[in-house]
Amino acid sequence: MTPRIRNRALGADQLDAFAAELDTLRARTVATLGQADADYIRAIVKAVRYLGLAGRALLFAAAFLSVVRVPAWILGTLLLGVSKIIENMELGHNVMHGQYDWMRDPHLDGRTYEWDIAGTSDNWRKTHNFKHHTYTNVRGMDDDIGYGLLRIFPEQRWKPFYLAQPLVAVVFALLFEWGVAIQDLRLGRWLAGKMTRAELRAAFRPVGRKMGRQVLKDYILFPLLAGPFFLPVLLGNAVANVLRNLWTYTIIFCGHFTADAEVFSRDSIKGESRGHWYLRQLRGSSNIAGGKLLNLLSGNLSHQIEHHFFPDVPANRYAAMAVEVRDICARYGQHYNTGSLPKQFSQVIWRILRHAWPSRPAPQMSLSRSPA
Amino acid sequence: MPLLAQPSPTRLPRPIQPLVASQAFDFWASRINPLWSFDRPLARIEALQAASSDAVTVRLKPNRHWGGFLPGQHVNIGAEVDGRRVTRSYSLTDIPRADNRISITVKAIEGGKLSRHLCRDARLGDVLDLGQAFGGMTLPALVQGAWMFLAAGSGITPLMAMIRALSAQGMPVPLMLLYWVRTRAELCFAQELRALAARHPSFSVQFILTREGLLRADERAGRIDAALLSSLVDDLPARQIFACGSNGFVAEARNLLAGHVRSFQSEAFSPPARAVDDAASVQVTLARSGRTLQLSRGQSLLEGLEAAGLTPASGCRMGICNTCACTKVSGSTRNLHTGEDVHEPVSALRLCVNSATADLVLDL
Repeated sequence: MTPRIRNRALGADQLDAFAAELDTLRARTVATLGQADADYIRAIVKAVRYLGLAGRALLFAAAFLSVVRVPAWILGTLLLGVSKIIENMELGHNVMHGQYDWMRDPHLDGRTYEWDIAGTSDNWRKTHNFKHHTYTNVRGMDDDIGYGLLRIFPEQRWKPFYLAQPLVAVVFALLFEWGVAIQDLRLGRWLAGKMTRAELRAAFRPVGRKMGRQVLKDYILFPLLAGPFFLPVLLGNAVANVLRNLWTYTIIFCGHFTADAEVFSRDSIKGESRGHWYLRQLRGSSNIAGGKLLNLLSGNLSHQIEHHFFPDVPANRYAAMAVEVRDICARYGQHYNTGSLPKQFSQVIWRILRHAWPSRPAPQMSLSRSPA
Repeated sequence: MPLLAQPSPTRLPRPIQPLVASQAFDFWASRINPLWSFDRPLARIEALQAASSDAVTVRLKPNRHWGGFLPGQHVNIGAEVDGRRVTRSYSLTDIPRADNRISITVKAIEGGKLSRHLCRDARLGDVLDLGQAFGGMTLPALVQGAWMFLAAGSGITPLMAMIRALSAQGMPVPLMLLYWVRTRAELCFAQELRALAARHPSFSVQFILTREGLLRADERAGRIDAALLSSLVDDLPARQIFACGSNGFVAEARNLLAGHVRSFQSEAFSPPARAVDDAASVQVTLARSGRTLQLSRGQSLLEGLEAAGLTPASGCRMGICNTCACTKVSGSTRNLHTGEDVHEPVSALRLCVNSATADLVLDL
């Protein structure tokens, strides 16, 4: 397999210049943060709250008013699902990156924000903010490569278990929030005897508490409020959560598992410069081209490249930054991986299907030109 | 110094507390009444009144999460200015009242974000963040002996609360106030102070103007010095002194008086040191673990703390993952990436890309 794309190999000086241009763009953007950005994220909070309220109200209406039962249930479930999607992506994910810490609003504090999914924010801050963002697509360091469950890249060693991965991938998508919830427990290590039962139990305690809280809220408390109509409300909440799971799975997998996304070896990041880090973020990430609605519903992970360059810059700025990022990448001869949602996601599906079977990696292209 | 908007114990039964998502609660509660919150002390502006040519008195109604104060104490006040919450400390000028209303008097400072906001842009009904009261320069439970208060500029504000408190008790002890400002137009509470002096024979006030041409009968000129003090007060050694003002003023007062009077207590509103010398070291206090360290100014806080044998949580070490972020209670820091200086409390300071530029208190 020959590489589908050609990236110009950059020397150390060029990498420094590349980094300097991106740093400048970042500084210029951060210097103009202000009221408009604060208003934006508050509008997002408002949208999450009111959509959620409308969704839950419609689910109750469906329960009590037999005339509108089906349409109200469908609309209520959809609105609740959309509320949960925006809360996870544009609000929770971005706030937890510390993107709005500059506002110093205790409710938008990256360190304490707790989002509306089964996984704890604290685990996410560790597996995602630190490991995934620092060691993006580095094998053995970024747990998000296949989430320890899927073989996405030929560089991952094949095992017979992976033959089942087309099915495993679907189940994982449906239960995505639960997968994220237990990601940091590293059950594999426990199964392999590298972790004691007591250690696992201690690690599970906060995770179990959060899971219990989510179950209590969506599957007991709100359904109970509907009294005899417990079941339809419970079903609506479950479907809304599953819709959110499928959507976030789709967006997140498009971010790093498209055809042109690369993985890196542990060795490739030794003594990594800032320019080198930027370049690795670029080569390991892919955008999704779309409009404002896609940007909102994907939490601006439609700008995955910009997000990986500037994870703590408010996401509402990515669209504007993307224009310059594209230009910088072009000038340095670097491929800017973007495409429509169907195009990017079909590449992800192909990877899941293809690498269920044994496959061999193409020769690894070096990130940079080694000094002669 | 307590943090801004420190949550106070709620009155909800303990088993119910974890079930309430404070974010959701605050969102919906504040739609009904902007002052309602699950656990954050907030206050609504009920009155705005000019106190002098460049100062405004703000009367506030705190919500139930605010724990009260003693005259002489201060609170942190926070408001959103251009999307950012800006926090400053102000002294409470009134005495504790039955209706729980509190007052601060804010002098507009050139370039001061919050003071300008409060003096010019704030409107009735605006809701501000409120910290719990702090400060140790307060009157003893039983006030005895003779007293003298020295105020310079905004230094009058905590002293005013204590003067009002003593007045409410019928001024049981001799009290003299020496109050320095540059020009007459900057005097706050002048009319009230004159009225109090007329009402209570044991209270007297001396206004001292350092840059005014013509002086009235109860005004004098001159900076604080031994000659001025001895000409105004004959029983100086018997006085208990509270002094409040700028750093320079308080230092001068201490020089002149400490050891020569019955007691001397002071508080200064000192501006943070802005000059940065990378070689010099600053004192970093870790509030939670009660440790104090000397760290160099040029080095990141994370490196400094680690070099001192501490292991604060950290991740990427390049300012992207936010793992090492911790609360800066007070002091000044510089972002090593951007060179930006920040002199106010911050809820999430990234230790790996910030260095200390002036003495610092971290919540570690």
